[in-house]
Amino acid sequence: MDDGTRLEILLNRFQAIVDEMAQTVSRTAHTVFVKETQDYGSVLVSREGEVFAAPRRYGVLMMIGMPMEGALAAIGEDVAEGDIFISNDPDATKGMATHLSDVYLWTPVHVDGRILCWAWTFIHVSDIGGRVPGSIAPSSHEIYQEGIRITPQKLYRAGELNRPLLDMILANCRTPDQNWGDMKACLAGLATARRRVLDLAGQYGFDTIDRTVDAALDYAETQARRVIGRAPDGVYRYTDYIEADMAGLGLVRIHVSMTVEGGGMLLDFTGTAPQVRAALNIPTYGHDGHWMLITGLVNWICTQEPNIAYNAGLVRPMKVRIPKGTILNPEPGAACGARYSTSHKVCDVTVGALAQAVPMELPATDSGQGSILLVSVPDFENGGHKVSVIQPIVGGAGGRPVDDGVDGTMVILNFLRNIPTEIFENEMPEVLIRHYGLRNDSGGPGRYRGGAGIEIEFETSSPYTSITSRCMERYIFGPPGRLGGHMGAPGYTILNPGTDRERDLGKIDVLELAPGDALRIGTQGGGGFGDPLERPAGKVADDVANGIVSPRGAREHYGVALNADGSVDDRATGALRAGIRVARGWSEPPLHGLGPAREAHDALWTDRLEDAIVAATADLPVPLRQFLHERLMTEVGIRLDAGRPVEPGDIPTLLDRVRAVGAAQAAE
Amino acid sequence: MTRYRLGVDIGGTFTDLHLMDEETGALFALKTPSTPRDPSLAVANGIEELGKRHGIVPADVRYFAHGTTLAVNTLLERDGAKVGVLMTGGFTDTLELRRLRLPKANDFFVPKPVSLVPRRHVRPVGERMLSDGRVGAPIRREDVETQVRRLLDDGVETLAVCFLHAHRNPEHERLAKSWIEESFPGVFVCISSEVWPQQREYERALVSVVNAYVGGRMKAYFNTLHGRARALGMTCRVFSTKSNGGVMGIDSAAERPVETLLSGPASGVIGAHHIAGRIGDPNIVTIDMGGTSADISILEGEMRYATENTVGDFPVIMPAVDVSAVGAGGGSIAWTDAEGVLKVGPESAGAAPGPACYGRGGARPAVTDAYLTAGIVAPDSFLGGEMRLDRGAAHGAIDSIASVLGFSRAEAADAILQIATAAIYAELLPQTARRGVDIAGFSMVAYGAAGPTQAFMLARELEVRRVVVPPSPGLLCALGCLVADFRADFVQSVWREAPELPDAELRAIYGRLEEQARSWLADQNIDLDRVYILRSADLCYVGQSYEVNVPFPDVVPARLTTPRVVDWFHARYGRVYGYADAEAPARMLEARLQIVGVTPKPPVRPVADSGDAPDGPTGARPVHEHGEEREAAVWRRDALRRGEVYEGPLVVEQYDTTVYVPAGFRVTVDDHANLIGERA
Repeated sequence: MDDGTRLEILLNRFQAIVDEMAQTVSRTAHTVFVKETQDYGSVLVSREGEVFAAPRRYGVLMMIGMPMEGALAAIGEDVAEGDIFISNDPDATKGMATHLSDVYLWTPVHVDGRILCWAWTFIHVSDIGGRVPGSIAPSSHEIYQEGIRITPQKLYRAGELNRPLLDMILANCRTPDQNWGDMKACLAGLATARRRVLDLAGQYGFDTIDRTVDAALDYAETQARRVIGRAPDGVYRYTDYIEADMAGLGLVRIHVSMTVEGGGMLLDFTGTAPQVRAALNIPTYGHDGHWMLITGLVNWICTQEPNIAYNAGLVRPMKVRIPKGTILNPEPGAACGARYSTSHKVCDVTVGALAQAVPMELPATDSGQGSILLVSVPDFENGGHKVSVIQPIVGGAGGRPVDDGVDGTMVILNFLRNIPTEIFENEMPEVLIRHYGLRNDSGGPGRYRGGAGIEIEFETSSPYTSITSRCMERYIFGPPGRLGGHMGAPGYTILNPGTDRERDLGKIDVLELAPGDALRIGTQGGGGFGDPLERPAGKVADDVANGIVSPRGAREHYGVALNADGSVDDRATGALRAGIRVARGWSEPPLHGLGPAREAHDALWTDRLEDAIVAATADLPVPLRQFLHERLMTEVGIRLDAGRPVEPGDIPTLLDRVRAVGAAQAAE
Repeated sequence: MTRYRLGVDIGGTFTDLHLMDEETGALFALKTPSTPRDPSLAVANGIEELGKRHGIVPADVRYFAHGTTLAVNTLLERDGAKVGVLMTGGFTDTLELRRLRLPKANDFFVPKPVSLVPRRHVRPVGERMLSDGRVGAPIRREDVETQVRRLLDDGVETLAVCFLHAHRNPEHERLAKSWIEESFPGVFVCISSEVWPQQREYERALVSVVNAYVGGRMKAYFNTLHGRARALGMTCRVFSTKSNGGVMGIDSAAERPVETLLSGPASGVIGAHHIAGRIGDPNIVTIDMGGTSADISILEGEMRYATENTVGDFPVIMPAVDVSAVGAGGGSIAWTDAEGVLKVGPESAGAAPGPACYGRGGARPAVTDAYLTAGIVAPDSFLGGEMRLDRGAAHGAIDSIASVLGFSRAEAADAILQIATAAIYAELLPQTARRGVDIAGFSMVAYGAAGPTQAFMLARELEVRRVVVPPSPGLLCALGCLVADFRADFVQSVWREAPELPDAELRAIYGRLEEQARSWLADQNIDLDRVYILRSADLCYVGQSYEVNVPFPDVVPARLTTPRVVDWFHARYGRVYGYADAEAPARMLEARLQIVGVTPKPPVRPVADSGDAPDGPTGARPVHEHGEEREAAVWRRDALRRGEVYEGPLVVEQYDTTVYVPAGFRVTVDDHANLIGERA
């Protein structure tokens, strides 16, 4: 058999193994995370630590970018047949684990006494200890608050369970039985993998498999380089902000300068904000192709090349440069539990940069919010509290060069499921859902409309009802449109809508409600793609008939006037569109439709100014850097708000001033 | 007088007929081209042709069951009625939101799911039931009538009504239905609490909406079919197969066409189950390979049901025989990517244009072209020679791949077959793992037009015990129609913690379900050998989202108690997940009941050897497969005798398929004319 045919056959066989592992883990796991959020993973890893096979349909899909070298280096040479290793520690594994809730288990597969490869799994356990139930709180500011750290070691030594270690781990968790159940699901997945790899080695031989692992990685790399190579060489910059005002941190800047050259890319995150005293840091250890940085790029490559071999070769062309001490490459000990928001923002930023190179291959920005709305009420019968998920509150997907954006959910979070209202109300009759539907007029106008956001309204009849919604995003800056498409509507939260007690709350983290209180939340629409004046008027009329666009929205954004029966008034439409074209004053559509709030912000906070602010403190020790960065931002903000210009050249002087103030305070 | 049973399966390309002589158990099979514009025409053509060939008078057919893909095609092709929907105010986007989850990952350009009903045709009604069945806000007749009038003015043809918590208290839906029937007579209306009263508003609503969407076309089709059968002189009633593997009268089918959506693959599994029963083998993996895909199912004595099936973009929660598509079919296209690596599928040439060798304009090489080029299939053996394959076209298509790869023609065909096998393997194994089954030691029943051609190549990679090829594997679905029993499923959502469910109420729930079931079966008005009832419940631990279907042991209904159900749950959970927590509180989600009316089956008789079959192989030809070329004997299926052992490589040609037995396997013929293949 020739090498190419054997490669394709073994790629299928490798895929069968990791998919079978995933199905085994998912079927035998116990917790909601696994079923509803698919938060588990199963892969095969080369001796060198590269993922050479990963599921494309089950579990966490970005594992192809998980760096295993750090974990392998940590366990060293003491590896025997039947050993099973465990860790959840980002620092000890140098960025394999990215928060403590993900527990990794892995095992060598020996063939005739030699290691052929590794089988690897992880599962997000319900609780790993720490200061809050569930272990994750955005306000945690060091990793010690987030649970027990398991440095890489043997949970099984040659097939024998290390019971004291397990007991010690479980004693530190609030859900020991569920955790052990989930870990056993991973062990079942590893056993499946070991058996199947041995079968395969029996059939094809150690050396053939070994060679094909390398060939599979090289093959994916070649394919990825071909896709990247089609993008014009150049340097593409993009900036966006995590809305960390909930954690008292204001806007946290994520900045990338993406160099595309000859089928490879360098993602340089210099200019990104310092690490934060909140659980938003991602401990990537600056690893090339790290899975929390490449979601957008992998989705792009797989959209262009659906049959690509799905392994770490795909991320080899994605080099990374991230200064130490930043939110994307924090020093050891940084809190990281709620790193998801940051990872999603990195996705937006990389897609925004890449869109300058290949605008017709990418969607406009999606809602950017992947929050889970939780409610807790006192349990009068059994004491304590009853907790339930009301709904995941995500918004619409961005418009695409081929179609409108998906309504009500994001392509990146394709696996997320909502909760039937009937089930929720049964679980928690104290809370009545009044409304759950699409949010009209929220999708960013465009030739291809952004997907609509969601609106949910509910009321409580219970005292001390507590609402939690972590990681709300894009309440200030809506999802940008693309190539003339407009921004999607930002999110909102309104207490007691339509009453004289109505209040606009903005983002919430934890909120207490009294009996009779109602809360209404609207999620973001996706950004629009392309010029809305080029959307066929008939499609706009259809949107109006279906209520997803209002007649006013049709006139103002799409320049479409309708007759009383809902049909298009062609003459009035022509006039409206001509009027809008003149008034907007551009002939070439802008690549990014950032929207008025962001444009006003950027007019004051220029990229050059922000670069200078980040650079000014870059070399300081982390605590001092965080402190001075925050002070500096406040100082600059006061000036800009007062209408006093600040130039990049002013920054060193301003830094000296805030330093002096800090020193004076310390002296007091 | 001779009596016959007729089973008919209408597929995309062919309509298959299986006629059984009830006295002798003899089977007559026929394939006739389908007539998609008017599917019942092909049925009539087939019956006429069977009559001509075997001297059968249609009036002697006393049982006629058939399966049609009309409902599923209407849904997939979005070709159904304009449906208007009434929903609880505040929840009219239930169909738009779906369950949010998107079908494809890592695809920025994933197609946007489009609801069956445009948003403007879903109208709010100002009513509200609470989760415990109390009325939160009353329903008003005026409100219902205003919304219905608006919908009808807007061109809506049929109606579905789906209110929140209607499975708990159907009063509002029933009122709405009676008002609509009074004020708008003649308008077809389904209410969700009647069609499938299971908790989960999206899925329950969808059952009613799909029913309203496909109902009109199904009714028209059944009328035509009934007329055609009468015109041929058939006087027996006509039955339709169901997704749950059973059959029902076509009157029931016209009322509830949603129950036929997955009946096609289900019929095949019923046929395989019948074969498994005959050979007395409980552990079976079925592989049904046709033009576009291969489907698998697992049988462990009983058939498995799934309640999380999908048709196109839509979840279907009514129980259906558990079948998974596992990729490649005979029409799957072989191609090379930019790096020069050979791939097979997922694109398929389907039935039109089909593989290059069909000579219908297809130029790209498909798996069937590789079978032909490798020497496995002969150009004149397909459909008993009724459809000649174009060898030159197949070679041309395979050469296009061979030249890219620098292979000989035979090497290219072989590579396509090995990769197709690996692709099926890669999808099959995870599917068996999902079901918690290791198929090592199972028997593989191969059917469909290409199943027996491919099965042994797949078996070489799996640890299956043996391969079983039924007598007419290309027409097994039609056999399934013929042997299926009457089956209907009933559900009632309970959603209560076990301690809060008194035994009397539990018995009352199952009593009501049984009443519905017996009334359904009585309406079918059919002679049955016996009737049995299967009760089960879905339970989970409070606070967990994993539910387990717990079949009840055969217990007198009067002795059913909640604590016993909970005990069975713990035992079942332990078997599925390897541990159970007897202390943890359990919650009962759904009460389920299936009624089975067993139809009389013809006696099982050993098949007599055919008289006019040749005595020995009809020839031999070189087969190039798995890296070597070997001379394979070519046999007619009816020439293979019981008691003989036939060593591979070997090709067995028959009317509806070609069986390929590679080197390393040998086959025998059992008493029921099945080919049994084992490793040599």
